[in-house]
Amino acid sequence: MNYEYKLYEPTWCPGCGNYMIRTALKMALEGLGIEPHEAVIVSGIGQAAKMPHYIKINGFNGLHGRAIPPAIGIKLSNKNLKVIVESGDGDSYGEGGNHFIHGIRRNIDIAHFVHNNQIYGLTKGQASPTTAMGHKTTLQYDGVKIEPIQPLALALTMGAGFVARGFSGDIQRLVSLMKEAINYKGYALVDILQPCVVWNKVNTFSWYRDRVYYLPDDYDYTNKKEAMEKALEFGDRIPIGILYKVEKETYGDKFDFIKKGLPLVDRELNPLDAEKLMNEFI
Amino acid sequence: MGEKLLMSGNEVIAEAAIRAGCRFYFGYPITPQTEIAHYLAKRMPEAGGTFLQAESEIAAINMVYGASAAGARAMTSSSSPGISLKQECISYLAGAELPAVIVNIVRCGPGLGGILPAQCDYFQAVKGGGHGDYKMVVLAPCSVQELYELTVEAFNIADRYRVTVMIMGDGILGQMMEIVEFRDEEEIFNADKSWALTGTGMKRENNFITSIYINPEVLEAHNRKLQQKYREIERNECRVEVYNCENADVIVAAFGTVARIVKNVIKQAEREGIKVGLIRPITLWPFPNEAFLKYAQVPRAFLTVELNAGQMLEDVKLALNGANKTYFYGRMGGMIPAQKEILDEIKKIMEK
Repeated sequence: MNYEYKLYEPTWCPGCGNYMIRTALKMALEGLGIEPHEAVIVSGIGQAAKMPHYIKINGFNGLHGRAIPPAIGIKLSNKNLKVIVESGDGDSYGEGGNHFIHGIRRNIDIAHFVHNNQIYGLTKGQASPTTAMGHKTTLQYDGVKIEPIQPLALALTMGAGFVARGFSGDIQRLVSLMKEAINYKGYALVDILQPCVVWNKVNTFSWYRDRVYYLPDDYDYTNKKEAMEKALEFGDRIPIGILYKVEKETYGDKFDFIKKGLPLVDRELNPLDAEKLMNEFI
Repeated sequence: MGEKLLMSGNEVIAEAAIRAGCRFYFGYPITPQTEIAHYLAKRMPEAGGTFLQAESEIAAINMVYGASAAGARAMTSSSSPGISLKQECISYLAGAELPAVIVNIVRCGPGLGGILPAQCDYFQAVKGGGHGDYKMVVLAPCSVQELYELTVEAFNIADRYRVTVMIMGDGILGQMMEIVEFRDEEEIFNADKSWALTGTGMKRENNFITSIYINPEVLEAHNRKLQQKYREIERNECRVEVYNCENADVIVAAFGTVARIVKNVIKQAEREGIKVGLIRPITLWPFPNEAFLKYAQVPRAFLTVELNAGQMLEDVKLALNGANKTYFYGRMGGMIPAQKEILDEIKKIMEK
């Protein structure tokens, strides 16, 4: 399959982790046999959120911080579409923090890939919600004074059924994480560590490479307590893989009118359908 | 006057805010105004003030809401989509009668649009982007020097009337470097802020800031009071530049950076024997109706030039109230009209 979009040349910097994430996304879609018309990439605003411009697939580029609500709208309207949200750390956890939290609570069947480079790239180097304490940036001259968000721990707390962490430097593992997330029935979060080669001189490619390690094969990803411990492990060592995965009923499955029959957009609406409702008033 | 410096418009807004006694700035990055935040991140601590990068534009304006309620001079800045997010709180600030300064370095919309210069937020700023019957003073500078002077003025107007004041520029003005001459000392209006949440010291009843009035009679009275205040602002705070309008063949109405282009058009037209005048509203609200009325009969027609599809045009028409013909020329999407384009429009009017 050809997901190559010739219309736009990416404006990402050479060496940006976004290129690897895009390659991984294409490989994951191809590996799952998903045709471009069967999926939609939804994004907000930011460098990561440019993804739908650079991949030949249904694309939706919405508001800063607000990729999750339209993704919910899309999935509920057309349950046959694979809905994938691609956005950055500032977009997903800062401006969109509230939507992130409540999106998890709803458990809509979408895969959320957060390109986490721990910095604002598009606006040139300000601290993001995941920038570490003390990190000096182009705006926080004196270093960041506030605690970073722990997105995976937050997702677990909110009741997410699929929580994972990937690294743009290991494309094979990233592809398999993406596939698992796309196939998961419900909200799946993959926080993807990626270097920003221009604006983040602390969390570089080698910084991540030296710290990430793979969860062992016998790791029990159904154990929430252990998952929480792994989610909070972010420093000298950073675990990569599926931290938590359990089956959960999705929002759509809780309503027969969504669960059964054709997707809502494909249903034929007839004025006579209202007769039954009108009769209640007669 | 004092120190002369070469600075960008965005930096000047930031420096002027400090000089005007603003000690609280809350922002969120967005092109093309992020330099305001970068400048204040350095300068605020030096001046003994607070700079804070919020998690969103909505958080930033609500922090201004709080700082203003506590009696401080506070400012936020953003660009078009970010300003849209702030509209709800701007309405609340108006309802609660709190002073605040909001900078909008406008980019081209709608939606995310682009980052290039535009004037397409005129309606939003002037007609009330938020809900309810309220008005916001809107200042439209056309040079870096004027940006400085009007930023200082913005804080004084805000405090004097307990209203929000918007400084509206565009990417040209925000990014452009020009010489700015700072005054040695600013004239700062010392407002009575006995309404502020300063703590009672056990000496008075507690203050309460709100915009909710459930009783319709009370709310109507509150609204009438706001309207009275707005009429007073209309009488006192209108600012306009009238240039070359005596005996003009055509009078151009333009604000902000477009007015600078028009001034060059005037020189070129002069060489070709056409006398072109300019009415440049400096306050977009209150709108300088009287300047238009004064010259209503002078030219063959008025031409409004804007970086939008014709927004101030409506106010020009309202001001003229049918007294003369009005034409419009606009560019959108970040496109800037060349002098020749505007001159050609003027010539077309001359041939009519």
